Amino acid sequence: MDSAIAQKTWELENNILTVETPDPSSDSIFYYDEAAQAKFQQEKPWANDPHYFKRVKISALALLKMVVHARSGGTIEVMGLMQGKTDGDAIIVMDAFALPVEGTETRVNAQADAYEYMVDYSQTNKQAGRLENVVGWYHSHPGYGCWLSGIDVSTQMLNQQFQEPFLAVVIDPTRTVSAGKVEIGAFRTYPEGYKPPDDPISEYQTIPLNKIEDFGVHCKQYYALDITYFKSSLDCHLLDLLWNKYWVNTLSSSPLLGNGDYVAGQISDLAEKLEQAENQLAHSRIGPLGPPRKKEESQLAKITRDSAKITLEQVHGLMSQVIKDILFNSVRQSSRSQNDQSGPEPMIET
Amino acid sequence: MASSSSSGLTFKLHPLVIVNISDHYTRVKSQLSLPPSLTSTSSAATSNNNNNNSNGGENNQNPPPRVYGCVIGVQRGRTVEIFNSFELIYDPSTRSLDRSFLEKKQELYKKVFPHFYVLGWYSTGSDAQESDMHFHKALMDINESPLYVLLNPAINPAQKDLPVTIYESELHVIDGVPQLIFVRSSYTIETVEAERISVDHVAHLKPSGGSAATQLAAQLTGIHSAIKMLNSRIRVLHQYLVGMQKGDIPCESSLLRQVSSLLRRLPAVESEKFQDDFLMEYNDTLLITYLAMFTNCSSTMNELVDKFNTTYDRHSRRGGRTAFI
Repeated sequence: MDSAIAQKTWELENNILTVETPDPSSDSIFYYDEAAQAKFQQEKPWANDPHYFKRVKISALALLKMVVHARSGGTIEVMGLMQGKTDGDAIIVMDAFALPVEGTETRVNAQADAYEYMVDYSQTNKQAGRLENVVGWYHSHPGYGCWLSGIDVSTQMLNQQFQEPFLAVVIDPTRTVSAGKVEIGAFRTYPEGYKPPDDPISEYQTIPLNKIEDFGVHCKQYYALDITYFKSSLDCHLLDLLWNKYWVNTLSSSPLLGNGDYVAGQISDLAEKLEQAENQLAHSRIGPLGPPRKKEESQLAKITRDSAKITLEQVHGLMSQVIKDILFNSVRQSSRSQNDQSGPEPMIET
Repeated sequence: MASSSSSGLTFKLHPLVIVNISDHYTRVKSQLSLPPSLTSTSSAATSNNNNNNSNGGENNQNPPPRVYGCVIGVQRGRTVEIFNSFELIYDPSTRSLDRSFLEKKQELYKKVFPHFYVLGWYSTGSDAQESDMHFHKALMDINESPLYVLLNPAINPAQKDLPVTIYESELHVIDGVPQLIFVRSSYTIETVEAERISVDHVAHLKPSGGSAATQLAAQLTGIHSAIKMLNSRIRVLHQYLVGMQKGDIPCESSLLRQVSSLLRRLPAVESEKFQDDFLMEYNDTLLITYLAMFTNCSSTMNELVDKFNTTYDRHSRRGGRTAFI
């Protein structure tokens, strides 16, 4: 199939690190070694090195659950806990579950409400064969990006004092749907007063104007970890087969229709930022031109990047609409009659 | 035992349930069979590997364990939508279902997902068995007509179809005795946008971020594969119809009716209003592109002016000005 060849070429060109297809023997990641985990807890290698954990591995199941839960909250922030284990300098997240708590941005210790739920859930899980412990918490930032707010930072610092090893994960379901790829970030905070040795360059993301102050004040107090995903051999197999039914949904998805509000919000936010930038530029002409200021991108350059991103997403959405129009609406124009299947009706298995 | 269902219910299954069941099964399986030891020395690891692989081989000869659990979701009218699932404790030898556990779990899930309720149960295996009926009957006091979702965990590379079947129970009179038997039902895969994206993400390990070119390529590759599937399905249909026309395959009027109704639905949407809305959306996107280009240009010009000012500044206190050609 030349599509396979095309995909391989593209992957090569873009340095995609393909995880080798897991075979049954590599499902060992699912094995929970109680003794080894207990030993690791005792040793506490993270106590001396605030930058100890560098990577996160998230299982397919955990990711799916977290994204679905985050999306189901709509514009309300939701939160939950993640279960898993550690492996050297990596934290492995095997599963996640939702907590019946809403709106964590206003309460530091929202988990106090959910303790009883957490204990109950962990107990039932252990009985059912899931032996891992809680290794972190996740919450959603619908529409404003993956970073830790001031409240989040204080919550996480508290967690890292008493519940080590602990990880904070943030998901943005609105941006996920709009961009077509999963927006997720994993973070750990530095302890109080610790200055990070170097300035890690993080991937740029646009933050809405009303949150940008909160972001800026705290962004040096935590660092991001690399995220990779894994799945079992059975998962692989099932997901491959799922594609046989799934292609219909891919074709019939219309991101433009679903995310109209979000895009409008982004554009108006961009307009405000532009006004701010205009004021700033008008004043800076009087100031001295000596000091080097090329470390930080100017406000205008950031705005340009944001506008490019919004446009890109719009164009992608429009492209799929146009393709669908050509496929299903242009029968009247084609000379040969084609037995096209009409869009969203999947074939029922008989 | 597996005849077609006649209850008229349509079933919609979310991929999360499938991944849940698969994860449950993998967990139980890997806890039972010892994996290769995770020691650091390679020689110890390889010798352990050899030992454990032979042990693993023995274990694989035993039938893999069956896992049991509950599926939850919503039923609206005649449509049953299965959203999520959780594990249950069931002892097949004594045929006892841990009731308190089930109730506890139900309570917990009700708190987070208040709209969902128990729709049925799931298990792994290759085929529905007689003993499953006991479990089924046990669940009947929670839901009068529970579903049975069966996942076949055997990995068969030649398999083209999803190894998940949904059974319902129906009261049939066999040999004069009314009995409950399992009947297969058809189902469709239903998804929300977010679920689809994360399944896509994990299944194909799409690159995150990267330049605009890679993003575009990723998006188009997805659509391209979907269209390829559509194309291949249409070809199959076409061949079938040609065969029917030639007379190789007996004419089946129900299929012909379905095909003709599909054809009559094309073009999918044809109206003035649609064209207007479509063109308006098109124009909106073009407008946004125009605005973005404007922003880009003004930013570049601003930088140019800044650079100009820095280079040819006549008010600088430093000696030695660069020559102005």
